[in-house]
Amino acid sequence: MKILIISNNPLILRTWDGKIPVRYIDGSAPEVLLAVRDLCHLGYRLLTHPLSGSIKPNETPYKSVLLAGTCCGTDTESILLTENAIDVVQRFGPIRRNWQERELKDFQLVDASLLAGAAESAIADLKEI
Amino acid sequence: MKLELGYLRVTDLRFGSPSAFCNGVLTIDAEAVRAMILENDKVADVQLDIAKPGESIRITPVKDVIQPRIKIEGPGGMFPGTISKVDTVGSGKTYVLEGMSVVTAGKIVGFQEGIIDMSGPGADYTPFSRLLNLVLVITPAEGLPQHEYEQAVRSAGLKTAVWIGELARNAVPDRSMIYETPGIREGMALYPDLPRVGYVMMLQSQGLLHDTYVYGVDAKRILPTVLYPTELMDGAIISGNCVSACDKNTTYHHLNNSVIEDLYAKHGKELNFVGVIITNENVYLADKQRSSDFTAKLCEYLGLDGAIISQEGFGNPDTDLIMNCRKIEAKGIKTVIITDEYAGQDGRSQSLADSDPAADACVTGGNANMVITLPPMDRVIGTLDYVTRIAGGNQNSLQPDGSIVAELQVITGATNETGFNRLSAR
Repeated sequence: MKILIISNNPLILRTWDGKIPVRYIDGSAPEVLLAVRDLCHLGYRLLTHPLSGSIKPNETPYKSVLLAGTCCGTDTESILLTENAIDVVQRFGPIRRNWQERELKDFQLVDASLLAGAAESAIADLKEI
Repeated sequence: MKLELGYLRVTDLRFGSPSAFCNGVLTIDAEAVRAMILENDKVADVQLDIAKPGESIRITPVKDVIQPRIKIEGPGGMFPGTISKVDTVGSGKTYVLEGMSVVTAGKIVGFQEGIIDMSGPGADYTPFSRLLNLVLVITPAEGLPQHEYEQAVRSAGLKTAVWIGELARNAVPDRSMIYETPGIREGMALYPDLPRVGYVMMLQSQGLLHDTYVYGVDAKRILPTVLYPTELMDGAIISGNCVSACDKNTTYHHLNNSVIEDLYAKHGKELNFVGVIITNENVYLADKQRSSDFTAKLCEYLGLDGAIISQEGFGNPDTDLIMNCRKIEAKGIKTVIITDEYAGQDGRSQSLADSDPAADACVTGGNANMVITLPPMDRVIGTLDYVTRIAGGNQNSLQPDGSIVAELQVITGATNETGFNRLSAR
């Protein structure tokens, strides 16, 4: 079983590319979730919750989600969780301020930290990249 | 397990030398505290300040709030596994310095959280406006990685609380309370006809700035387990959670958990308060599955008739909350969930990111999206520059006159999900 990271966080790309495949989305966090949703419809399933972190969707520009590839049809729970997450993100609206470079780096770091633990667990669980 | 808490009322807080606690007055040698904190070379500077109820002071950005306590009798010391050595706490006697706290604040990681107003309308939304607060404004060493900075601030706050607690070792409490939880067999014999109720406490556990520690162990790494409620009173659980000011559980909330307080008040009378089940809120879905399965299993194993479930945070913890609720209810155990809401500024949106018909008994801590205006204060402890970078604020939050227009989520403890406040929502 293969695992995949979907992310718009450049730190994720630098950290995990070569260890876990990263599909980098050059766009917003909502666009990341849309990509995740599309992959879920194509048979991928979520390994992490799309609403990771308590930093609100209209504050952090970054989103990273871990998926597992599957050959066994669509996982309904993954689709519902992702669609629900998209609804929540849309409800919060767009980012409301202009972050400086330092702050963006901090958001990248927190997002990467939220994913790191899950990625280690996934590697241990699934044993195939 | 039986713990006696001796409450020592702090009526005034001042700087001076020598440090002492006498007749309700706490005198702090600021230089001594400063020297202790600066022993950690990860801290470049620390400024101490005092904020009292009613003063025109704004503390921001707040990282944690801690109540000084000291273990007088019984095994272990405060904050076992973190400050004190690992030992099972929650029995014997502990003194509480009531009416004051240590607040950590300062240079933040680019964005952050937490306002405490000591007067004005904002003061109504935080319990910490009613305390005498010793504020530590901490500057990290240049280039310090963020996770080391967070650890340094956490350590400084806890060490200061322990240092202050030591000043009260020989004081005589103004009042005492005894909290006692019998073992399973004894409890069933004592209260055969009372409903067995447990408290499922969900701990924030997602990663950097989103962590909680149980006897020094990162809550991301735990399986759900059972604690005596009094273990929390001795600091077995501490906060490493620095995001989402309104609904994060500060270490103060852990020490003074209001669900535990209220369940003890009814214990032996209306119900048998069996104990606390702690569980986590990991991002990894398999962990959520495992932890909610374990939590429901423990509730069933303890023979509970009912469980109160509190969560911490927003978003994916809502999924844990609903999973716990659904699975516990499926065991035939009634539940009540405690949560806050993100129902939009008009209050009309769905409040949680997840839901289930089983979650039909809910206590709300209030709507974190509610917009408030905080008037300017005469003095800011910390820095106001970060207000426009604080969760719940925006680019235009800071007004020219110094007032702040932001969502309620900027205020530390405003919508706490252990029901600590009186805030609710209609």
